[in-house]
Amino acid sequence: MASERPLLSTTPGASTPDDAPSPHPPAASLLPPAQPEPPLRADRIAFSVEVPDPFLPSRRGDGPADDPSTLSQREREDGDDESRAVAVGEPSAAFAGNAIRTAKYSVLTFLPRNLFEQFRRLSYVYFLAITVLNQLPQVAVFGRGASVLPLAFVLFVTAVKDAYEDFRRHRSDRMENNRLASVLAPGTADEFQPKRWKHIRVGDVVRVASNETLPADIVLLATSDPTGVAHVQTVNLDGETNLKTRYAKQETQVRFSQNGGVGGVLHCERPNRNIYGFQANLEIDGKRVSLGPSNIVLRGCELKNTTWTIGVVVYAGKETKVMLNSSGAPSKRSRLETQLNRETVILSIMLIGMCTTASVLAGIWLLNHQRELEFTQFFREKDYTTGKNYNYYGVGMQIFITFLMAVIVYQVIIPISLYISMELVRLGQAYFMGADKDLYDESSRSKFQCRALNINEDLGQIRYVFSDKTGTLTENKMEFQCSSIRGVDYSSGKDTGGYSVVVDEHLWTPKMAVKTDPQLANLLRDSGTNEEAKLVLEFFLALAVCNTIVPLILDTRDYKQKLIDYQGESPDEQALAYAAASYGIVLVERTSGYIVIDVLGYRQRFDLLGLHEFDSDRKRMSVIVGCPDKTVKLYVKGADSSIFGITNKSSDLDIVRATEAHLHKYSSLGLRTLVVGMRELSQPEFEEWQLAYGNASTAVLGRGNLLRSVAANVESNIHILGATGIEDKLQDGVPEAIESLRRADIKVWILTGDKQETAISIGYSCKLLTSDMTQIVINNNSKESCRRSLEEALATTKKPRAASIGTLSPALTSESSSITLALIVDGNSLVYILETELQEELFKVATECSVVLCCRVAPLQKAGIVALIKNRTDDMTLAIGDGANDVSMIQMADVGVGISGQEGRQAVMASDFSMGQFRFLVPLLLVHGHWNYQRMAYMILYNFYKNATFVLVLFWYVLYTAFTLTTAITEWSSLLYTVLYTSLPTIAVGILDKDLNKATLLAYPKLYGSGQRDEKYNVNLFVFNMLEALWQSLVVFYLPYFAYRRSTIDMSSLGDLWALAPVIVVNMQLAMDIIRWNWIIHAFVWGTIAATTICLFVIDSIWILPGYGAIFHVMGTGLFWLLLLIIVVTAMVPHFVIKAFTEHFRPSDIQIGREMEKFWNVNHQVNRSEIPLRTFS
Amino acid sequence: MSLSGSESDSLASRRSKKPKYSKFTQQELPACKPLLTPGIVIGAFSLIGIVFVPIGLASLSASQAVVELVDRYDAECVSANDKVGFIQDTKTDKACTRTITVPKPMKRPIHIYYQLENYYQNHRRYVKSRSDKQLRYKDSAHMIKNCEPEAASEDGAPIVPCGLIAWSLFNDTYAFSVNKKSIEVNKKNIAWDSDKSNKFGSDVYPSNFQKGDLIGGAKLNDKLPLSEQEDLIVWMRTAALPTFRKLYGRIETDIMASDEITVVIQNNYNTYSFGGTKALVLSTTSWIGGKNNFIGVAYVAIGGICLFLAMCFVVLYVVKPRVLGDPSYLSWNKETPDHPN
Repeated sequence: MASERPLLSTTPGASTPDDAPSPHPPAASLLPPAQPEPPLRADRIAFSVEVPDPFLPSRRGDGPADDPSTLSQREREDGDDESRAVAVGEPSAAFAGNAIRTAKYSVLTFLPRNLFEQFRRLSYVYFLAITVLNQLPQVAVFGRGASVLPLAFVLFVTAVKDAYEDFRRHRSDRMENNRLASVLAPGTADEFQPKRWKHIRVGDVVRVASNETLPADIVLLATSDPTGVAHVQTVNLDGETNLKTRYAKQETQVRFSQNGGVGGVLHCERPNRNIYGFQANLEIDGKRVSLGPSNIVLRGCELKNTTWTIGVVVYAGKETKVMLNSSGAPSKRSRLETQLNRETVILSIMLIGMCTTASVLAGIWLLNHQRELEFTQFFREKDYTTGKNYNYYGVGMQIFITFLMAVIVYQVIIPISLYISMELVRLGQAYFMGADKDLYDESSRSKFQCRALNINEDLGQIRYVFSDKTGTLTENKMEFQCSSIRGVDYSSGKDTGGYSVVVDEHLWTPKMAVKTDPQLANLLRDSGTNEEAKLVLEFFLALAVCNTIVPLILDTRDYKQKLIDYQGESPDEQALAYAAASYGIVLVERTSGYIVIDVLGYRQRFDLLGLHEFDSDRKRMSVIVGCPDKTVKLYVKGADSSIFGITNKSSDLDIVRATEAHLHKYSSLGLRTLVVGMRELSQPEFEEWQLAYGNASTAVLGRGNLLRSVAANVESNIHILGATGIEDKLQDGVPEAIESLRRADIKVWILTGDKQETAISIGYSCKLLTSDMTQIVINNNSKESCRRSLEEALATTKKPRAASIGTLSPALTSESSSITLALIVDGNSLVYILETELQEELFKVATECSVVLCCRVAPLQKAGIVALIKNRTDDMTLAIGDGANDVSMIQMADVGVGISGQEGRQAVMASDFSMGQFRFLVPLLLVHGHWNYQRMAYMILYNFYKNATFVLVLFWYVLYTAFTLTTAITEWSSLLYTVLYTSLPTIAVGILDKDLNKATLLAYPKLYGSGQRDEKYNVNLFVFNMLEALWQSLVVFYLPYFAYRRSTIDMSSLGDLWALAPVIVVNMQLAMDIIRWNWIIHAFVWGTIAATTICLFVIDSIWILPGYGAIFHVMGTGLFWLLLLIIVVTAMVPHFVIKAFTEHFRPSDIQIGREMEKFWNVNHQVNRSEIPLRTFS
Repeated sequence: MSLSGSESDSLASRRSKKPKYSKFTQQELPACKPLLTPGIVIGAFSLIGIVFVPIGLASLSASQAVVELVDRYDAECVSANDKVGFIQDTKTDKACTRTITVPKPMKRPIHIYYQLENYYQNHRRYVKSRSDKQLRYKDSAHMIKNCEPEAASEDGAPIVPCGLIAWSLFNDTYAFSVNKKSIEVNKKNIAWDSDKSNKFGSDVYPSNFQKGDLIGGAKLNDKLPLSEQEDLIVWMRTAALPTFRKLYGRIETDIMASDEITVVIQNNYNTYSFGGTKALVLSTTSWIGGKNNFIGVAYVAIGGICLFLAMCFVVLYVVKPRVLGDPSYLSWNKETPDHPN
């Protein structure tokens, strides 16, 4: 040991971790002030060092208590008294085994279960109902085989897909279940035998070696580290790659290492899905030891940097937390799909109308001919072999039967296949979004991912973007910039090349060096003598001690050089630890009981007596340490408001003022600030605290609340040491991205947990705020004052409008007023505004402002703000974030985007789309969103139109069949029409067609407006499409009707014409609307027409069908071809005229864009010099 | 639908490789981007007009060249008041003589059709009532499931050919003489060859046919296989529309203008009970089929409309020209003209 100063501990082995483990809890009994009961102490340290919550002190400043995981924890604390008892080392069959089963089906259950799953879709039920209806002999329209085929086809395809997926799951289950783990043989002390994972049971004691995966959720009993520390990587669980520390209890650690025995009974809560919470206690050797989330390691984690660890299985198989958490993203419905329901209703009414018409007319016909039916050759009411009526039940019944038959015949007007087409199209769109190289993030090597496959088209209609700040707009790579210590600002940092520590002839260097202020460094060297300098040292000690950082010592190529890597869950803490290290206060080692710090070359050991983890009520964390000089100190760090609230103002008033001034300066530079304080505890204070802390940390019920109140009691009368400023760098291209989004009329709101000043400065640096904006700040502490500020704000929003109404046109007024206003709301005020009647006022003000910044907001408030917009407008909202605190907002918004960045994967897991950088939002929305929206909108309308055309052709024919619903078109063609004849080109177009180039869309963000204004899908367009369908069906039906009236034409031949003509017509309509013809589109459109012809040939080559040979016969006549030509031309003329007219005389922006792409680029090259002239003219 | 969210999947895709560049994956395949420029619009309309009007005129002239004689005889051939009673009485003589004067010379072959009106051969009950298997295969005589109510005789023996369609076979007959000189009607090859060779069996003979209480129409020669019963084959190609013609036979001699054709009709078929009409049609043919002015008129009309539209668009483009692709037409540029984008 290089340390010269005496360490506190007198236990010989305790200072050298590599020695044999100490038989007693380290140093506890030797502490001067108190003699706490050893088991209690070890327990609370183990519990408290762990900070499982994602809301770490410096990270967000204000994570609230309402985070889902915290909530569920509270629920449990309050209302759950059920627990399970696990006898350590005695496998119990009473609980679920460790075999997992992610597969849904077995060979036997596949058919019923899969069918059940599939029929949960309403559209399939409709399909089925129609098919069943068709099986009634009186109603049967199609042959049995033909009618079942489409449904069977869809079910079959889906079933095959499901079966394949399930097969893969079976295979991976099998592999997973057959992995081997070494398990303690029952009855032995330390004899471990290999055992398959699936045979592991709750109560088994498992030994896991380094880099092995945990087979189940286990409570650590002992590890290779004498202090019971184990490092795990939870990347499979939450995607976070940094190591987390878990602890074995001293009691079990000691017991195992001494006599190799395990035992005791463990009481733990029921299996639940909270991966950040765990409460249990272990009865061992007559003592009760409490266990917390830091003592459990979950299935799927990997053991790292720890040679071995031993633990008892508490949850196995499907009861493990990871299995309980394996559910997909919540399913959302796209707006187009919701709107589509409205059109479906209209179509249903049309369907009922047509069926009613047909059946009523049929009834009238029957009434008129009632007495003739017996001798009418084509009807012949009676069956003379029986003498009874055959298949005739009187007029009333016939009307009813006709109605049902009409439903079957006209069912395709509601395009069931549309839902399948939409899914295929979305799949294709998702593929192309994922394959876009512009959405690939080189630095994190992350691809764009569509996690939800049913809202692609919503990306084209966004009006509001709610963005998190840290990690989303910024990189979340924290860098220590400056500090204010005891009221003195030290912010002129210089590169000094870092600081290294000599340990056992090795040189340990922190991985990252921070710029240091030379003045400060000099001052630190005097800390032995100078009182002022002593406090500076305390400041850096606080930075090094008051955190949850674990230093990992990494080997380098040079065996004398080692790197210190600070692993921790909060990037702010890492930055602070590196900063302290650069000034010579190097955190070298951390165990559950003590911290070793190299203070300017002297190694010192601090005993870790207690740690009050960060929580959102207190907004600070603190540690209580026993120092080498035998004093007990409390170090605390946290948000400024929270620390100033507990400072000893009487003595430090000047310093507090100066620090406040510095804090203001830092945050206006866009730095994240933290305030650090300390307090020396007197002996009685410490004893009082220790008693309370001990009681609180072994409590089974309400432990969290008890610990919070203990912390709040001791954290008082704090001396301010200083404050830190940490820079959080903006991501690449953020200002440009925000500018593009704003030009696309997308409102960008920033919701951040940072302070108001920080938020505003980030707002400036990312160009969201500009100097010509009027800022409305709402920052109040009571409901009344909130109401007043809102009223004032509302008045402000009205003012510019009122002033400008006289002079400018209304269009300009709204624009100018929205440009100049920015609203800044504080989280405190939101407490009084959200969920109260003031919400409405806030909404009015906020929608008038072009920029809204919400600072110090809690996760649920973020969701509340999203809901504020979502519930009051039809506008589409998008939330983008990267952290766990954004999950609620991501799930609330219409579209949730997760940034797969530094902060773990909770946001990505909850999101609908995930990507690597904020700036990708621009191509995602403006390009892919725009494309997806216009493609999907067109495809839906086109599907309605094409099916309506066909159904109307069928309907007109019925008028000439005595209303008996005969179809001239063969039943096979009727069924294939939606499946094969017309669906494939729309799918290809839905995936591949682009109205505009990527470059054009990015250059003119306003083109995005077409989606925001629902220009491509609305009731008018729907009606227009239906009118086109009506016209085209009339043309398709009546031209042949008049041409073939009084001729020898037979049903099959005319039916073939009536089948082929609409297919060509609707495909020509599609062809006319396709914007970009590449070879794939060509292949699909023309290929479909060819395939239809071939199908007709094939159908008419089946001699068993009445239409045998008809197509060959009719195609041999000139009239057929003349009719086909005139049908197609006549049907298309109106569409062509309207298209030609609107595109030239009422051009949409998209149309202009297309023309620019085609003609302007050429001109642009040639006449570049003329462009300025043009803009002047 | 959500992607399978298994942990290993998401991890694998997270550390994904950079997507490879290809024109396909970047959606940049070379493509043709047609635009409706004034030239294309005017050109398209003109082209349609220029093509359609001549086609229409050619069709019209072909249709005009066809000589078609239609003689409705159902009312005239029954003098009795109770027409249904008359037609249902099997004992009365139903012969009826009609005389037609030919206005224009008719070149052979002259097609003889019978035309029925208000006769729903496309009635659902009717079209379903047949057994195609039975028609083709001798062994399939029992395949009569769809033939109700004319499936089997009273003793249960299957009727061949079964079903309403065959049962209701048209049974009026015509005998022609021109200028008192009887001429032969060629009743061969009036059905489609494909039907004769593949659809109706050459070893299937009628049995139990037309033996029921109610006679629907013609009886068949039990000695002839179905493939040679051409009247039946023609009849069983059910008509698409309620007014239809069926080929009866051909006259293989030319008939001069103002010749008198005398037709002796055996007026057997009952269309009286449901108000249907019957007519005899004699017609020559052309490449367009029978006499049919509609298609010619339609072509001329559509061609004319397109020419008219072409002119309208010429006028419109002249009156209100627009530079294609000029950004100043973008909606936001129009609102703030002095704001260069």
